Amino acid sequence: MILDILRLSFRNIRHRGLRSWLTVIGILIGTAAVVALISVGQGLQRAIAQRVEQIVGYNTILITARGLNLGQRIRLDIEAIRAIPGVRNAIAVRTETAYVEGPGGKGFLTVLGYDPAMAEFVAEMNLTVASGRALAAPGEVLLGSRTARVLGADVGDGVTIEGKEFQVVGVLQAQRAGGFATGGLSLSDVLVISLPELRQLFPGPELVHYAVVRLADRADMALVRERIRDHLRAVGERNAALTDFEDLTRNIQSVIRGVQAFLAGIAGIALLVGGVGVMNTMYTAVLERTREIGVLKAIGAKDSHVLLLFLFESGLMGLAGGALGLVSGLGVAWVATLVVSRMLEAQGAFSPALTASLVFGSLFFAFVVGAVSGLFPAIRAAKLPPVEALRYE
Amino acid sequence: MSTALVELQGITKIYRLGEVEVPALRGVDLSVLPGDFLALMGPSGSGKSTLLHVLGLLDRPTAGRVLWEGADVTRLNGGKLAELRGRRIGFVFQMFNLVPNLTALENVELPLVFLGVPARERRRKAREILERLGLGDRLRHRPNQLSGGQQQRVALARALVTDPALLIADEPTGNLDSATGREILALFVELNGQGRTIVLATHDPEAAAVAKVRLRLRDGRIMEVER
Repeated sequence: MILDILRLSFRNIRHRGLRSWLTVIGILIGTAAVVALISVGQGLQRAIAQRVEQIVGYNTILITARGLNLGQRIRLDIEAIRAIPGVRNAIAVRTETAYVEGPGGKGFLTVLGYDPAMAEFVAEMNLTVASGRALAAPGEVLLGSRTARVLGADVGDGVTIEGKEFQVVGVLQAQRAGGFATGGLSLSDVLVISLPELRQLFPGPELVHYAVVRLADRADMALVRERIRDHLRAVGERNAALTDFEDLTRNIQSVIRGVQAFLAGIAGIALLVGGVGVMNTMYTAVLERTREIGVLKAIGAKDSHVLLLFLFESGLMGLAGGALGLVSGLGVAWVATLVVSRMLEAQGAFSPALTASLVFGSLFFAFVVGAVSGLFPAIRAAKLPPVEALRYE
Repeated sequence: MSTALVELQGITKIYRLGEVEVPALRGVDLSVLPGDFLALMGPSGSGKSTLLHVLGLLDRPTAGRVLWEGADVTRLNGGKLAELRGRRIGFVFQMFNLVPNLTALENVELPLVFLGVPARERRRKAREILERLGLGDRLRHRPNQLSGGQQQRVALARALVTDPALLIADEPTGNLDSATGREILALFVELNGQGRTIVLATHDPEAAAVAKVRLRLRDGRIMEVER
């Protein structure tokens, strides 16, 4: 009997044609917005977790100015940190502003001190040369793509940095975005020389953008952190903060989750409006079919039959809107991630997340929104006294 | 004298319209015996529709008792009344009142759906009765594809499919031309001849003429009984 009533509900929805579709579209838009946001958000979280792991890795401590501010420099001695028990290796990223002269131009430019160990820690430090080769010996320099244009220099030319002669052995591949590697500066805008040579050019206290410390297997994270703090205190650095992989992911994820919850909340309002649409349609349907309700009751329909008939109608419309919304929401998410991935370019592509809980959750939720919105109209229909319903013109 | 199918004892029905009380029935006593064919006549507002609704268990009296086959059903709850209506009473209305988006066959099946009759049996019974009423070639038609007379016959089939003890008709010929109306009335006579108990309300003297007993109502009372 339930199935028969369900079929009757389905007939009634089809019978209303355009109006049913409009109601379904209301639910569709709300569901699509929620699904798209959650899918993109989860995809982003997953991508960021992977990326953070790639850049920083487990077992790793990041030393930066407070607030993960890579632009502000901190004082530390990387050799002393390497010597702390439990530390397997450590690097510090240091840049200096130097007066540089090339064959076709000159200016104050940023010079990065390169340590081959950096490549192990920071993916971007796997310097990719567009022409020429990597650094191999003292007195050699790599130019960022824009720096090469500024100086009018190419592979084989000579440039002077702070009066010292260097030979250009390679030009780096162009990079669009500001990099993690150089404290926000793109590698396109720097010159790269070896770290010992940078130290020779700029003797004195070492100021770095950040340092990355990798622990030996089974080293005690808390203990190493304490030792690093001791070192920073000893060199008089009060503005540094330590972040490990878990801190970092936790921070980023909580920010993303917050933004996502906020956006999903807004999308939820769209779904609510869809629910109001369902309620409106169902109240109209009850009004239009008052006589029919009276007839159904006269020929033996109980209140519960009439209640189910109308609840199924609104629930089915909710479910239809949910299913269509799920598909279109995933479509929107797919397009959005394609666009965002293209904007991020080398920073890493990501794909929307598609989980079972997202699929069944959104379908279930849309059905509930439909059924709940239809509840009051359905109760009104069920409670109509048969005589009054029959008398209704 | 056998037990009455329905017995009304001192039925009063008062409608409230805000502050005003409108009495529709004032102390009506009536027995409907098995095999009866009653016509309720009277001007609009005389109370014949209300009387029909009380007889059909669609409305509750303000005072008085309703006995169905000897049992007092006045205080029965809505669900029980709905079931009793579904099993024992068939209704035919002036406006036919078929469900517009169901076929003739599905309309006739509907009372059996609410009684929980299995689909196959339901279909068989509905088809049988429609064929008996000459609508065997209209099973898949929707109400808007049928003439008024055909619609009323579908409605009659829907009322009869549960094999009810009592058939109640409210102005069944009111929306039909006189030739079609006569056809429907002939069906009523035939049904009564087969032993079906019928109560109809009508303005139409021709319709009233086919009944065995005519009751004239005025101001909520039965004024005259004509056999």
